[in-house]
Amino acid sequence: MGFLVSFSFFFLAIVINQSTVVGQTTAESVIEFPKNDIRDVRQVIGQAVNVPNLNIVRDDITVLSMNRKSSVVYYSSVTSGTFRYIQIHYNNGVTEYNENWSYR
Amino acid sequence: MRNTDGQLYTIEGFAAGLIMLMTAYLVVNATSVYTAGDTHISDMQLEALGSDALTMMGTPTNTTMYLSNTSPLRMIIENPGPVPNATFRAMFLNLTNSRAGLPMDYNRTNSTMDYIQFTANYTCRIDPGTEIASNTFSYSRNLTGGEHTVKATKWMIINKGAVPVCGTTNQDRAVLVEVLLWRD
Repeated sequence: MGFLVSFSFFFLAIVINQSTVVGQTTAESVIEFPKNDIRDVRQVIGQAVNVPNLNIVRDDITVLSMNRKSSVVYYSSVTSGTFRYIQIHYNNGVTEYNENWSYR
Repeated sequence: MRNTDGQLYTIEGFAAGLIMLMTAYLVVNATSVYTAGDTHISDMQLEALGSDALTMMGTPTNTTMYLSNTSPLRMIIENPGPVPNATFRAMFLNLTNSRAGLPMDYNRTNSTMDYIQFTANYTCRIDPGTEIASNTFSYSRNLTGGEHTVKATKWMIINKGAVPVCGTTNQDRAVLVEVLLWRD
């Protein structure tokens, strides 16, 4: 009987032990995931492929991403027929994001 | 009558004692997480709030702005006034501090209300090359270094002859707007 009671206490203690860690790791992984960065860089790339001075704006985005956000960003855009293809690469050392984006 | 039943009880007692010790260790260990899980949550909320405010400021507010592909934030950066920029300050404080039931109070006569403070800068690349330059253009309070800040950022494409620290080239350029915000 004592054996069963002590086992049940043991399992309850494991639940207590893990609960705080679960909360912390969840919050940390949500903070670390650069959702806003990716969203924002996608939006500006959507505008940046339409400017006349493509290379200068791409240098702006690449250099500023590296210096201010510690992330590697590169994109390219190809027009083929009536379609336009945009490739986006994003990597901040923890999260990597690649996207192929095409529209007419 | 003599038999070995008592030995079994002793062994059970020892095993249960060991498990209880292990249990006590787990419980004591659980309290030694220095940073509780929810201390980050207010940071996350503040960052989301700042990001949303910047996104709203980077969105055209009428058809004229939409057709010329501009936004309040872009116009603020292209037409810098005295520092701190009053337009940015009023818009950002309005977006971040408005909440139900409390009136806005920029003069801080109501000392019981907590405010979100900010300092904002933009960074651009010096063309040609990989040098960058930053310019603080608006703030609601000076940053002393003791604040617990989070950062919200927004990319902007601007096109304007002379913008402070960005040079004078008259073409499209990408600049990064960064806002540090904290609760006060």
